[in-house]
Amino acid sequence: MRRLLGLLVIVLFITLFALVIASGGFGYEVPPSRVRELARQFLVYAYNPFNTTFTVKSPEAVTSIVWDFRGLDTLFETLVFYLAIIGALSLYRGIESGKRAEVISLGLSPIVKTVTKLTAGIIITVAASIALHGHLTPGGGFQGGATAAVAPLLILIVFSKYFLENLGLRKNVLLALRSIGLLGIGVTAFSALIIGLAAGSPAYVFQNQPKPDAPVGLPVHIGDSLISGTLWFFNFFEMFAVAAGFTVIFLLLGIPEGEVLKQLREEVGEH
Amino acid sequence: MVEASLIVLGVMALFALSSTIATYLAITERNLVKAVLYSAIQSTLYALIYYLLMAPDIVLVYVPVSVGLYPAIVLMLIKKTEKEES
Repeated sequence: MRRLLGLLVIVLFITLFALVIASGGFGYEVPPSRVRELARQFLVYAYNPFNTTFTVKSPEAVTSIVWDFRGLDTLFETLVFYLAIIGALSLYRGIESGKRAEVISLGLSPIVKTVTKLTAGIIITVAASIALHGHLTPGGGFQGGATAAVAPLLILIVFSKYFLENLGLRKNVLLALRSIGLLGIGVTAFSALIIGLAAGSPAYVFQNQPKPDAPVGLPVHIGDSLISGTLWFFNFFEMFAVAAGFTVIFLLLGIPEGEVLKQLREEVGEH
Repeated sequence: MVEASLIVLGVMALFALSSTIATYLAITERNLVKAVLYSAIQSTLYALIYYLLMAPDIVLVYVPVSVGLYPAIVLMLIKKTEKEES
C-alpha cells in the first residue's frame, strides 16, 4: 500500500513537472528547434574534404567525435574498463577453474542448444558488422564488443562453462586477447607520430588525418574501402578488448561458488 | 489529424514515465531477482527512448549491455549470495 502511494506521488510529480517545462514555464522551448553551434560544427567537419584542419573523413559524426575530436577521453575510458576488469580478476586470483572432459551432457535441452548454435554465429556476425562499419554507420568498437560478448554468455548459460573453455576460450587466452586489443589501441594512437618520425616531419600523438602543420596521417581508403584513417583500427582493437573483457568476467563468475570457497579455505589453511 | 512528431513525443513520454515506475519498483523490491527484472525493463524502455531520440549509437550499446550482459552478471551474483534482501 505504501509502495503504491509512493509510486503515485512520483508519477504525479513527474507529470506536473513535465507539463510546466513543456508549456514554457522556465522561459525556454523544449525540445529546441535549432541545432546548437557545437553540434553544427561536428556535423560539418566530420566528413569535409575541403577543410584539412579539422576533418576526420568519416561520415559518422559520433565515431568521429569519440575517436578523433575527443579521442583521448575515449582512450582513458578504455583504460578505466581495462582496470575495472583487473579489479574483478584480482578478487579471483589463484582460483583455478575445474576441468571436465565430458561436457555434452551438461546444460539445457537439445532444442535450446541447437537454437543457440545458430544464433551465436549470427550475433558474432552482427557484432563484427557493428564494429568494423563503426566509421560508416551507427556503432563502433564498444558497441560491437558488447554485442559480441553476448554470444559467449549464451554458450556459457545454455551449454556450460566447461564447454566454452573446451572451445579454447580460457581465462589466459582472453586476457591475452584483451591485452592485444589495448596494445593495438595504443599503437594506433602513436601511429601518426611513428610515421612522422620515420618521414622526418612534425606529427601529433592521436593524429588521424594530415593537418596543415603536420602533413602526415593515416590513409583514408584501403583499396576502394573507406577506413577513415585511425578510426577503423581503433574500432577493431576496441572490439577485442571489450568482448574479451566481458567474457573473462563471465568465466570467473561461472566458477561454482562451492569450488571457490573450497580453494579459498585451502589457501587460508596453508598460511 | 495529430502530427506524427507529436505521437513520437507522446510515446517517448509514456516510456519515460513507465521507466520511472520500473525504477521505483526495482528499488523497493525485496526479492532481488524480481528487482533485476524491473531494472531490465527500465533499461529496455531507455533503449527505446534513445532510439526515438535518434541516438542509434547509444541504442547499439544499450541493448546488449542492459538487456543481456548486466542482468546476466547481476543474476549470477545473486545466485552466489542471497535471493532475498534482509
